[in-house]
Amino acid sequence: MNRLHRTLAIAAATLGCTAAVAGRRPTTDPSVLATEIDRETDHVSALDLAEQIMRNDADLRLYDLRSAAEYEEFHIPRAQRTTVTDLTRTTLPANAKIVLYSTGGAHAAQAWVLLRMRGFRNVSFLREGAYEWTARVLQPQLAVDATAAERAEFERAKPMSRFFGGTARTGVARAEVLQGYWTGAANDGSSVTTAGATSVVRRQGC
Amino acid sequence: MIAPFTSSGSISETGALIAAPLIGVGFGWFLERGGLGNAPKLAAQFYLTDLRVFKVMFSALLTAMIGAFWLDRLGLLDLSLVSLPDTFLVPQAVGGVLFGAGFLIAGLCPGTTCVAAATGRVDGLGVLGGLFAGVIFFDLNYGRLEHFYLSTPREGFTLPHLIGASEGVTVAIITVVALAGFVLAERIERSRA
Repeated sequence: MNRLHRTLAIAAATLGCTAAVAGRRPTTDPSVLATEIDRETDHVSALDLAEQIMRNDADLRLYDLRSAAEYEEFHIPRAQRTTVTDLTRTTLPANAKIVLYSTGGAHAAQAWVLLRMRGFRNVSFLREGAYEWTARVLQPQLAVDATAAERAEFERAKPMSRFFGGTARTGVARAEVLQGYWTGAANDGSSVTTAGATSVVRRQGC
Repeated sequence: MIAPFTSSGSISETGALIAAPLIGVGFGWFLERGGLGNAPKLAAQFYLTDLRVFKVMFSALLTAMIGAFWLDRLGLLDLSLVSLPDTFLVPQAVGGVLFGAGFLIAGLCPGTTCVAAATGRVDGLGVLGGLFAGVIFFDLNYGRLEHFYLSTPREGFTLPHLIGASEGVTVAIITVVALAGFVLAERIERSRA
């Protein structure tokens, strides 16, 4: 072993062995997370998620945080069921596009914080969970007095609804249109069940 | 190009397309200068008479591992953006056996095959033809192979997860094993010379 080899070996041994006491990677700064929450870049819309699924995005990892019974009854295609506890230790590709959803949005938002603190960068969640998927993708509705923006969203959702085996409805009375943050209304996800969507989605093997 | 440069926006897609062939040419150049375009020299490692492949590959692995670890810890590189391919245990183990057998028979692996072909070696051109035939055969039969290809998935499975140690401890263990391997390789080569 010549002198250069010996020097390189000593350098590698020093840097390699001190790695053992280098400590853990610094966790994500909470202020960074706060900024993302303020800017609402922490969530993905059901329509954007539907597009990712339709183009078969290989990096997409979709997780359903609801109960096993709810998952069995209905889940978004490509979703795997998991729990918040499992997400704290599961192994995931570092560049995965992780999308989370629960019944409403609370559990998914909590899981979002945990995954971001674990260092995953590309994490988002459905703000109103399975309800949002049903209302915006599976059963989009166009009110009789729809605005131009509502009409544009409906036209975007119509082929998605067909793709996922749902039904798009036109001429719906304003009072019957499913409300959510996208219509400017807050919703806790309890005003509609996903049971109606179950049978049609099951036809696609879910 | 894989992350992190494109993901962090420090290199555009066009920049990545320009950088990729430059990196490829550099990689091929150093493989050739390291004598890795020569099939008999490569095959010699299996007979323990010339272990340069082991030494070159482990040097590269060790340099990249230690460099990436410390750049991440110093905040200069975000390892969470680096692409980590999914693990499929059984199909990848079978692929490894197939790869090893092909390496022993041909005396070349995919990278060195390109180097050998680029320098005009007939064996390199032959293996390159076989390599493309294999790729096309796999693609045409993917439907039948898909079930096996995607079996035993473990997502982004890494050594720290496997041994239950931190990334730093894993880096230290691999460093010690690699350095011991270099010393052992030199001794084996001397005893066989």
